[in-house]
Amino acid sequence: MTELTELIERCKAGDGLAFREVFRNHRADVARLVQRMTGRPGDLEDLVQEVFLQVYRSIKDFRGQSRFSTWLYRVTVNVVLMHRRAAKSRPVLQDAPEDGFGKDLRDLPDDQVARSRRVAAFYRLLDRLSDKKRAVFVLHELEGLSPTEVAKVVSAPVLTVRTRLFYARRELLEMLKEEPALEFVARELLAESGAEPLAEREST
Amino acid sequence: MSAERNSNEEALERLIVELCAEPAPELDWDRVEARLMREPKSVTRSATSTLASRLRWPAMALAAAAAVFVVTKRPHAPVAVVAPRAAAQVASGALNGDKLALGTHITAGNQSVVVLHQGRARWTLEPHATAFVSNAGEFLTVQLESGALSASVVPNTKPETFAVEAGGTRVAVHGTAFRVERSGDRVLVQVNEGTVAVEPTQTHSDPSFLLRRDSRGNFALDGRSGSVEGNASVVVGDAAPRSHRQIALSQHAPRPAKAVTAPAQAVGATPAVAAQPVAAPAAQSLPLQPSISDIESGVSSAIDLLNGCFRDQTHSAGIRVSASTGMTLSVAGDGTVQSVTFSPPLAPAVEDCAVLGLRTLTFAHSVDGVTFTRLLELTR
Repeated sequence: MTELTELIERCKAGDGLAFREVFRNHRADVARLVQRMTGRPGDLEDLVQEVFLQVYRSIKDFRGQSRFSTWLYRVTVNVVLMHRRAAKSRPVLQDAPEDGFGKDLRDLPDDQVARSRRVAAFYRLLDRLSDKKRAVFVLHELEGLSPTEVAKVVSAPVLTVRTRLFYARRELLEMLKEEPALEFVARELLAESGAEPLAEREST
Repeated sequence: MSAERNSNEEALERLIVELCAEPAPELDWDRVEARLMREPKSVTRSATSTLASRLRWPAMALAAAAAVFVVTKRPHAPVAVVAPRAAAQVASGALNGDKLALGTHITAGNQSVVVLHQGRARWTLEPHATAFVSNAGEFLTVQLESGALSASVVPNTKPETFAVEAGGTRVAVHGTAFRVERSGDRVLVQVNEGTVAVEPTQTHSDPSFLLRRDSRGNFALDGRSGSVEGNASVVVGDAAPRSHRQIALSQHAPRPAKAVTAPAQAVGATPAVAAQPVAAPAAQSLPLQPSISDIESGVSSAIDLLNGCFRDQTHSAGIRVSASTGMTLSVAGDGTVQSVTFSPPLAPAVEDCAVLGLRTLTFAHSVDGVTFTRLLELTR
């Protein structure tokens, strides 16, 4: 019996110490995925907590047919999607910060400021994708899961996952043109390749 | 057009790489964990009911066995006996320690029994051992009647939130994982993680033993003596918090003037300071305070005296004993010690011995006298 399997069995028996161990071992992964799925720092802590509460409630249903990390991804994605659905029915009181994903940019060097702004802008793009497309994009492109693994997490056929990935990328490419903070990335790359910058092409 | 598409795709790839390189968010993990470890209790109903349904038949067997046990053995205490046959079934799950009535006896059969106090502690009663929870609430206490138990305790900001008592010996948790075995008239303690204090249950004036990680101890059942191996120490003094006392010496009978130049001979309960009588200097030539050298020579005498008391008044059964305290002395203008304070306090016997010795100590004369504090490390 592996250490993880033993921990899970103890969790199933209601062992709080084992649950704490699982939390400590996986909290960073969960927090990272939640951040990538939501793009908003405000709800991060609550969502991570909700994920682990769900883990506590439903770990007895984990039968070891998939890897624990895959199961944890599924719980996390479901919690985030539920949260987003609930959020849509609530009035938005305050938007996420415009720049840098909640970081204070005042004391950062210029290149770090630019980088933080690009990251924040990219989160805005991801936020415009539909829930299903964003989930598969984040899991595959950012978390590095294979389409087969993504299919297990989102409970969809592999072909469906590939299709969502294709359209997610295409929509992001279109949206890139509309984000000022991201446009210069394309401009720099165009300059390196000797092609005409995007903005100039569009203005002619 | 293809160059634009390629550059956009490259830009997208670059953004993906940038996003992947972002560090995982740092949250206030302690706060999240604290909330989590509190909140699961609110969702345990379904989990415990599932467990309860699994344990229904063993529980009925337990109840029957308990009834027999109550009649034959302990008519006044609520009793649950885990009989050997039932133990095999119970051992697959954990008993909910929070639901056990105080005084409920648990006896493990051929297999160990796990008792779980949600989010606080998990203790395993080894085969054929018997124990019961004698104190619930914030400070859990398990009485080990026979055999051995191992405990794993969630760290808590408050000390000694979990303790095992075996006979007159109390093993209180300052850390996380330890094992206690009651073997005849001895109590064996092994510490795997953290620190535990071992002390008598009834009084806190005796030495308490501090066992740290990877140390073990063998103690008398009354908890007053024992031997330790590994990273352990003996703390002399009150284990329970006790406010330090200021001991006034001026109320004692008038003392002969003594010089502080000779070293103290701290032997027995009333150490005497070898002294030479000195004549009181004329008031007009007195300094406002004793000079540093006068103070320090007096301090060295006081330390010698205190070390003598410490040696004579503590019992360490062949192991090294140390204690740290801050000694504050108030010296009057005539050079006599008016009061002394030990913070943290020492064992009363050591303090009393020190007071007797300090009464014979005299510093140099001055107009105002002086009050000073020295940190002392006492060893024997």
